[in-house]
Amino acid sequence: MNNPLLLYQVVAVLLLCLGLYALVARRTLIGMLIGVELMLNGAGLSIVAAAQLTPMDAVLGQLGALLVMGLAAAEATLVLAIVLVVTKRFGDAAADGPSELKG
Amino acid sequence: MNELYLGQYAFALYALIILAGGVLAVAAANLVRAMIGLVVALFGVAGLYLLLLAEFVALMQILIYVGAVTVLIFFAIMLTRAADGAEAEGPGGAGVLRAIPVFLVPAGILVPFLAVYGTTGFPTPKNIGPEQLGAGLLGPYTLAFELISVVLLAAMAGAVLLAFEKRRAG
Repeated sequence: MNNPLLLYQVVAVLLLCLGLYALVARRTLIGMLIGVELMLNGAGLSIVAAAQLTPMDAVLGQLGALLVMGLAAAEATLVLAIVLVVTKRFGDAAADGPSELKG
Repeated sequence: MNELYLGQYAFALYALIILAGGVLAVAAANLVRAMIGLVVALFGVAGLYLLLLAEFVALMQILIYVGAVTVLIFFAIMLTRAADGAEAEGPGGAGVLRAIPVFLVPAGILVPFLAVYGTTGFPTPKNIGPEQLGAGLLGPYTLAFELISVVLLAAMAGAVLLAFEKRRAG
């Protein structure tokens, strides 16, 4: 293979697809959070590969990946708090309890 | 030439690690095993960052993701498992049927698109030191730096507020 950027992007797409699969197939909120983390990792990998292997500004790419990591950390803390609230209110962390509408 | 071959072998190894960890994270019935799979995949991504000569990003990947985010998710698992083992079910039957097209559609669209229209990159990446990243954060990208700190502060404050709300209501 003489196009290394394509290989990195394919691995990033693979991470995105695995994360989407987990997001849909999992029944608990924590399983869905694991899927979201996989997708964010795919995004970071794609950004860094595109910045390092093309004439683009490499500083911008690496800082972008670091910002994605910061956003992932913020999102994980919020999801932890939401899981605590849902567990308190519905008894467990399954996703179908909170998705029911109450008239 | 020889180093290029070595790099290809390392890339294949890391891609295999990411694939194995990702599949374990997605398919494991036990959430703790899924977390182990996620950690393995995160380490694989850190290896790819090293291969891309982005060693500071690789270090931050291990420090932030493996060190902090994983511990947070482990806390979430531990705090919810107390309720009669309700976490144990893996991916369900109807959920898997719904998830397969969700998996296949982006892969079927993005990978051929990349293969046909993707740009070709350099074979060897550039190396950017942490001092250049710091100069970038204090120079042209100051606004993004400040914004991410505000977002983090708001998220932490919101999480604390939510947890206390629960304590008062319960």
